[in-house]
Amino acid sequence: MSFFWIWDFIKPALEISILWVFFYHVLVFFEGTRAFQVFRGISYLLILFLGAQILGLDILSWLLTKFFAISIIALLIIFQPELRQGLARLGQQHLFNIALEESEIVAIIEEVAAAAYKLARQKVGCLIAIERETKLQAYIESGLEIDAKISAELIQSIFLVPSPLHDGGIILRSNRIIAASCLFPLSDNPSFSKIIGTRHRAAIGITEHTDAVVVMVSEQSAEVSVAADGRFIPVASQERLVATLRDLLFTETKKKKSFLSEINKA
Amino acid sequence: MKKWFTYNLSLKLIALGLAVITWIYINRELMR
Repeated sequence: MSFFWIWDFIKPALEISILWVFFYHVLVFFEGTRAFQVFRGISYLLILFLGAQILGLDILSWLLTKFFAISIIALLIIFQPELRQGLARLGQQHLFNIALEESEIVAIIEEVAAAAYKLARQKVGCLIAIERETKLQAYIESGLEIDAKISAELIQSIFLVPSPLHDGGIILRSNRIIAASCLFPLSDNPSFSKIIGTRHRAAIGITEHTDAVVVMVSEQSAEVSVAADGRFIPVASQERLVATLRDLLFTETKKKKSFLSEINKA
Repeated sequence: MKKWFTYNLSLKLIALGLAVITWIYINRELMR
């Protein structure tokens, strides 16, 4: 008897929690895309509509019902790129969230580190953003989509000065270079001295807005740095860069702690 | 733990709002 009495309380909480997780993942899926603002606006209208239904506000409900009926076609047009991408993803690994093998991640990290140090030796600047949980779709759209397998040679050839793609940053997702020549938002954090250049500001800027990890090489000093969580640290050697990226990219729980401790040590 | 709550807080709150209202709405429809 008492079990059923408790279950009556647990059941709604469980159902709401499942719905919460579902809605949160839908919102995260759309986050970072240009359609996200539209989606958020629709969410507000949906909350208003459901609220009107619950409170029995018939006129508002009628009005919103008509509005939603008309706006279906508008939504199909607005979300057309996302719908296309979503359908295309059905055949890809992202939907099932298959993680890369540990060896594959290590190989990617080593390619990135090798590219960064080869570019540093040639005093060529670079900006490499590695996507984590937050989608970088808005920044991908600002550049040129590539979708090529990550290799140190390809990264090098993108950033070498005669290349038309050398301006801006590249974005890595999983084991692919998704886009090049991408524009990142500049950080306006006053705590960083005015000496740091635009590339550093862009690297810090994107890590302030998203959870991406950025590897950058300074053109002037040929110094390699890693940025995450709105901060950056210079890296002394290629091995150190590999170790820092491993810390940041391997485990969810470990990643932020280790990077913050690195900063505290520096 | 605090960071988990504050990370993407606005999205979490919107998602919670949608979840609660959807549950109430569907529950009400099922009760009819």
